[in-house]
Amino acid sequence: MSSLLAAASFDVPTIEYGQLSPMLIIFGVAVLSLLVEAFAPRGSRRPIQLVLVFAGLAAAFAAVVMIRGTQHIAAMGSVAVDGPALFMQGAILVLAFIAALVMAERQVDPLGDAFAPRASALPGSTDEIAFTRLGWLQTEVWPLFLFSVGGMLLFPASADLLTMFVALEVVSLPLYIMAGLARRRRLLSQEAALKYFVLGAFSSAFFLYGTALFYGYAGSVDLSAISDALTANAGSMWLVITATGLVSVGLLFKIGAVPFHQWTPDVYQGSPTPVTGFMAACTKIAAFGALLRIMYVALGGIRWDWRPMMYVIAALTMIVGTLFALTQTDMKRMLAYSSIAQAGFMLVGVIATNQAGLSGTMVYLVAYGIATIGAFAIVTLVRDSTGEASHLSQWAGLGRKAPIVASAFALFLLAFAGIPLTSGFTGKFAVFTAGIAGGATPVVIIGLVASAVAAFFYVRVIVLMFFNEPTSDDGVSVVVPSGFTTLAITISVALTLVIGLVPQLILDLANQAGLFIR
Amino acid sequence: MSVLLATIEQSGSTGEQIVFWVCAAIAVVGAVGMLISRRAVHSALFIAATMIALAVLYVSQGAPFLGMAQIVVYTGAVMMLFLFVLMLVGVDSTESLVETLKGQRIAGLALALGFAVLLFAAIGNVSYNFAVGIDGANAADGGNVQGIAHLIFDRYLLAFEVTSALLITAALGAMVLAHRERHTPRKSQREQSEDRVRSGEPQNLPGPGVYALHNAVGTPGLLPDGQPTDRSVPEPLRGVSAAVGVDHEDTRRVNALAAGGAIIPGKAEDES
Repeated sequence: MSSLLAAASFDVPTIEYGQLSPMLIIFGVAVLSLLVEAFAPRGSRRPIQLVLVFAGLAAAFAAVVMIRGTQHIAAMGSVAVDGPALFMQGAILVLAFIAALVMAERQVDPLGDAFAPRASALPGSTDEIAFTRLGWLQTEVWPLFLFSVGGMLLFPASADLLTMFVALEVVSLPLYIMAGLARRRRLLSQEAALKYFVLGAFSSAFFLYGTALFYGYAGSVDLSAISDALTANAGSMWLVITATGLVSVGLLFKIGAVPFHQWTPDVYQGSPTPVTGFMAACTKIAAFGALLRIMYVALGGIRWDWRPMMYVIAALTMIVGTLFALTQTDMKRMLAYSSIAQAGFMLVGVIATNQAGLSGTMVYLVAYGIATIGAFAIVTLVRDSTGEASHLSQWAGLGRKAPIVASAFALFLLAFAGIPLTSGFTGKFAVFTAGIAGGATPVVIIGLVASAVAAFFYVRVIVLMFFNEPTSDDGVSVVVPSGFTTLAITISVALTLVIGLVPQLILDLANQAGLFIR
Repeated sequence: MSVLLATIEQSGSTGEQIVFWVCAAIAVVGAVGMLISRRAVHSALFIAATMIALAVLYVSQGAPFLGMAQIVVYTGAVMMLFLFVLMLVGVDSTESLVETLKGQRIAGLALALGFAVLLFAAIGNVSYNFAVGIDGANAADGGNVQGIAHLIFDRYLLAFEVTSALLITAALGAMVLAHRERHTPRKSQREQSEDRVRSGEPQNLPGPGVYALHNAVGTPGLLPDGQPTDRSVPEPLRGVSAAVGVDHEDTRRVNALAAGGAIIPGKAEDES
């Protein structure tokens, strides 16, 4: 009888399909693309997948543009559709589009695309050779890619910690699998996937533990309810501070901040390079979006408690990332450590806890993401007979062999270094001014010094490419890619220049996004 | 700890206290045993014990659904699946305890201890002056299960739906990483026998090297005429054993053996 009563009192939940449309489109297309894998004949899968992926990403971006200006907590309080969330969703979709172009490349490797023909075949086995000879492609990467993008759209928009946790897993799980799918150096790739999975699961557990403690404190996992409980000063501060630390561990791991960065170089090196670009750019945006939302919305009231922790982590991240990048001899590992250092610069924007910090971080994320995808796309082009030639010495004299590609790479490196007239300068300037306004001057000074040191190793690579003689007959050449990678690099170069030369466009967009809603 | 005791004393009868202390002890012992046992099977059984103890605690706290789900899903499905996998791999397999990173265990222990102290200090210092209990929440929707249903299908509907993306990804990932596709159609028995006759050697594949002085699978077997053949060597190893190099002394002995001479390894040179 009581169950009947309960059934009668159940109201149908209101789901704002329009406001959730970007992620619903991506998840829908992901399921469609899975059905393509199940039912389409093998030969036609790749073209169908490519149409689905690019059309889906474009449609989701159009949906973000359509619902711009929304300020609403949708889906019964689970998703905050506000300016910053929409800005980050748009940025993720644009960057995922460029990353998908690089992933779709099939011309640079004579054996096929960047992914193993069949991931289940043992590395070096006769099966693998047979699959390669047949030219089969692991087109399952496309549904995995789309699910990950869908999770990324939800992650920075989650309005409660439970949804955020589910989104975190939806982002990560496909990435763990994609990391293990590289066509060349399969064992390195499988090792990367396993490391990423084990450490990722470990860090998720920290996030979950923190969520449980937040629930113990506030009696709710809603970010706004946690903020209200803090305002009311209810319960024990011990619980909040422990919970803050634990949740931060989970997010800082995804960001790759020191001391939770150890996975980054191995995973970036082992993953298929197009996936590395995707995960470096898009995961960072999603994870920073979630971190910013938690810190600004839920924990803004105790910023004086968590800011010292973030000071130390930001400073450590900048210093360790820069110093280790100096000593690397592998291009992908160097870019990995450079991405750690960049995460440190972005954390300055989180520490600022003001509107400028929020918009500055978002601009920096976009600028960094575009240059990262472009740089990793170029890494896929420099090859010898065994695959990518990622040792730094093999890049010597690249400027003479392929001046256009080397120039594009130099531009991305200058953007990483934050040289004026590139996008990196716009981002760094926005973040550092926000940091000073927010009272984080010491960290900004460390950041400036670290940027100067970082500029050294970026410029060193440029010198290596343009002013060193190429090593004779090392077999390294720059492969001419198909239209996919060419388009991806062209878009990246163009956006890097536009953001550098006309920074006001993106700064205005980020400022208009306003603050998080509660 | 005293605070913890106090909260327990505030809420619950003696019976509940006994259940708590018994189950808590089992849970902690199981968790520690999971960590320190060398065999994976023992670890799995320990963690199953921990999960059952937790399930009893959930039920005694008024959350029967969670307790049952814990037993059915975690202890029943997940852990038993885990045990199946262990049985397939081999029950006797023990973990290699060699440290690949020097001093990792010490550092790990120190960090874990520090983390434990931090958590104990933080959570032990928490004091609640209100004990709500789950009864209120259960009553609001007419029961424990109804309350959970209300939360899942109303407030957390989106998270529930998005979890399906997670499950699809998991299934897809398992397929991608583990499913072996055939790249050539499977041959029927008839086709196999036709192929064999057509190949000119209609007998079975030569057995492994029964006269061989090694029992490695890479050692070639002998054909009826006494010639060693690498067709008895598994295909991936053929190139490899050639790369290792032919042991001419072994070949000589094998040939001598095939010619009918009795050779006792090591004495061959003395007799000749």
